[in-house]
Amino acid sequence: MLSALIWIPMFAAALIGFWPSAVSSKIVRNFAIAIASVTFILSVIVAAQFDASTSQLQFSEFIPWIDDLGFNYNLGVDGLSLPLVILNTLLTGVAIYATDEAIRRPRLYYSLMLLITGGVTGAFLSQNLLLFFLFFEVELIPLYLLIAIWGGERRGYAATKFLIYTAFSGIVLLATFLGVVWVSGASSFDMVGAAGESHLQGGSPLPLVRQIVLLAGILLAFGIKIPLVPFHTWLPDAHVEASTPVSVLLAGVLLKLGTYGMLRFGLGLFPDAWAVAAPWLASWAVVSVLYGASCAIAQKDMKKIVAYSSIAHMGYILLASAAATPISMMGTVLQMVSHGLISGLLFLSVGIVYKKSGSRNIDVLKGLFNPDRGLPVIGSLMIVGVMASAGIPGLSGFIAEFLIFRGSLPVFPVQTLLCMIGTGLTSIYFLIMVNRAFFGRLSDLVVNLPQVRWGDRIPSLVLAVIIAVMGVQPAVLVALSEKTAIGLVSAVPPQVQQLAQNLE
Amino acid sequence: MTSTVLKPSSHPLSAYIDILESGKALLPESTENVVEVVGVLKSYAIVLDAYSRNLNYIAEEQFLVLFPFFKYFNGEVTAPKLMRYLWHDRINFEYAEYCMRTMLWHGGGGLDSYVDSPEFSSLAEKAIAAKLKGNFLMQGLHKAFPEFLPEQVRMLAYYTGLGQFWRIMSDLFIDLSDRYEAGTIKSIAEIVDFVLAGLVSAAALPITYSVKIRGEVYDILPASANLTFLPDVAVPYVEAVFFRGTAFFGTVSYNAQAHQIPEEQKEFSYGALFADPLPIGGAGIPPTQLMQDMRHFLPDYLHEVYRTSCRGEDDLRVQICQSFQKSMFCVTTATIFGLAPHPMNTSDPEEKKANRAYLEGWMDRFGTSRLDWANQPTIRACQLFPER
Repeated sequence: MLSALIWIPMFAAALIGFWPSAVSSKIVRNFAIAIASVTFILSVIVAAQFDASTSQLQFSEFIPWIDDLGFNYNLGVDGLSLPLVILNTLLTGVAIYATDEAIRRPRLYYSLMLLITGGVTGAFLSQNLLLFFLFFEVELIPLYLLIAIWGGERRGYAATKFLIYTAFSGIVLLATFLGVVWVSGASSFDMVGAAGESHLQGGSPLPLVRQIVLLAGILLAFGIKIPLVPFHTWLPDAHVEASTPVSVLLAGVLLKLGTYGMLRFGLGLFPDAWAVAAPWLASWAVVSVLYGASCAIAQKDMKKIVAYSSIAHMGYILLASAAATPISMMGTVLQMVSHGLISGLLFLSVGIVYKKSGSRNIDVLKGLFNPDRGLPVIGSLMIVGVMASAGIPGLSGFIAEFLIFRGSLPVFPVQTLLCMIGTGLTSIYFLIMVNRAFFGRLSDLVVNLPQVRWGDRIPSLVLAVIIAVMGVQPAVLVALSEKTAIGLVSAVPPQVQQLAQNLE
Repeated sequence: MTSTVLKPSSHPLSAYIDILESGKALLPESTENVVEVVGVLKSYAIVLDAYSRNLNYIAEEQFLVLFPFFKYFNGEVTAPKLMRYLWHDRINFEYAEYCMRTMLWHGGGGLDSYVDSPEFSSLAEKAIAAKLKGNFLMQGLHKAFPEFLPEQVRMLAYYTGLGQFWRIMSDLFIDLSDRYEAGTIKSIAEIVDFVLAGLVSAAALPITYSVKIRGEVYDILPASANLTFLPDVAVPYVEAVFFRGTAFFGTVSYNAQAHQIPEEQKEFSYGALFADPLPIGGAGIPPTQLMQDMRHFLPDYLHEVYRTSCRGEDDLRVQICQSFQKSMFCVTTATIFGLAPHPMNTSDPEEKKANRAYLEGWMDRFGTSRLDWANQPTIRACQLFPER
């Protein structure tokens, strides 16, 4: 079942890639949409059969592969990875649907998109460190190509920067994973052995110093991917140059690989070291949140504003992970899903604004809310996204941020309060953006903007509806992840709280 | 004898004075302009027909009905019609009332002075007394607030005044459209001539108003008041609706406290010739209501022009408003010619001089109007904001 989620898009990608060039781009596109729909439906079926009453891995698959290396094909899903898998399959479908029908080199494009989906799902499901690393790297090259081939003017620069940063992150990750096995003397890279007990944690826990060194590697590797300040500079460039669907995937799903990895391998493997590092991580989160938000205020490019807002919002996840309370862990899961949906919605809307108006500069754009000649529906959807991002009650962002702050406040009161300032800043930069671009009288320079069709609006509309539903009915997702979140936290020794108090 | 050639005008809008003096219209001659003007006037005529019927119905049948819930139904209240009304599948009669109130507020002409005369007061009192017969509550209220009901009657007089004016304009525009379709009208100049001829021939038509209360007829605007079409209704209408208008919320919000609205009514310039078509489509603003009504009755040849533009039918109402504004400049031209002291083609220097002064008087008022815009070709191709 889980393998299907990975290999259906992978095989489809290969199939599309080798299709004769005579096949029309419309057929390629429809085929890609069909595959994305199938994987989405499959992931929903997995969710429906998922037993939410346990924190154990489910649907496990184990095939010995290179036994001498301890490299096995080991899959499983729990309450942490399942929402992200569904988010991934959903956003892939949305991104493929939102792709321009007249895109150049369609076969390569759609096969790369599907390859990314398969790779990301694989990473979320892997229970073997090397297998995770393999899938983690698999999405790297397709994304590089997607930016470098279908990107904007400075796509070469942005793609190379992305490649260098992420490849470095990959090297650090591989070194850390090798170090984990070497230091612990484990017999394989499996997180959970075929028998069910943890190979890596099976014996006595590692000494604290070794844990801290290994955790530092994990934090560096995933800190680049999330990204956290000061490793974030690749992200705004990549977003600005990437096409809209690629931005949706990048912000919506790929950044979550970073937070997921940090939770799964940082908190999951080194709970003692995590407890020591937690206050520093919380402070790091504050820096990331406030720096990202401040940068967003200064931007003129709508896409950069959304990109910097992503950096700020990923900081909340670090804060909540550092606090490591059951409520804050629920918050991280919800925030990952909700940020995926919200940033997807925002990037889609900005993409339509750019496509239909020819600019993303808030100094140039004006009056796009004009009822007959502007983009009133897209503007309204963007405002829904902006409101959700700023944590307005009734939308998914509120639930996630509330849980994060509620869960983190008892542990790190100062850092949490500082992060709350970040939500205030969110309203500021997004209101600046919406006010400049959408309000006022439409410029006289542009009498006729091209028509917006329902096909353009549907992807944003779908995401907006899900965001609203999740805002009033978060119980579905909470029920799915609750046990896993509590399970993750239970391994963390209670000194997090003591340390936090000592620091004051 | 010295031939006195009139010196060129030094008015900022002298270019348009030259155009008018040479007998041409304020709208340039072009095939597309003809299509737009005739087409939009045809749909306008159909809408005006509905408006005028309703205005006359309200004046005659809803006389001093205090809660006129079904005043837009023209007396035909049925469940299907009510459903369509609630579903908003209807004509926006509110626009007609907006124009009526604008006229009432700005006043001007014989109708305005007549409704303030003692003669009107006594006639209105008679009708009010007849209407309130046996209704002691209302009689008491009328005693307590003696100015309330006469003001309502004044408003009803404007209902019928505008209704009768539009009745004639509707027929005129339909005739214009018929002539265009028959091929006898092909240019802007011919449109202006036709409208001018229509206005002149209707100029002296009487405007009267009487209501029937319990089988007895009460005059409100008697024939003896000598109110006629052109000076007492048409000219005040052009003044109130084309030029002055009222401030309303579009994308600009007007703040009276901040003196964004002129103190004096005579300084108002929110009329049809000044309006910005771009905010059209905003909910509830009067021009949107008219354009929304007109879009149902567009002739095919005009619809095709709009459909082939950049946004197609997405911005139909804005496009209609632009055409409508053009057509109103044609009608204004006809009005200017009709009211001119002397024919434009006169060769008498004194008459030329008088015409010049007359035209400069008009041009003083066109300063901030959309005249320049109407004289430029309409862009229908797609455009984008300049990059970055």
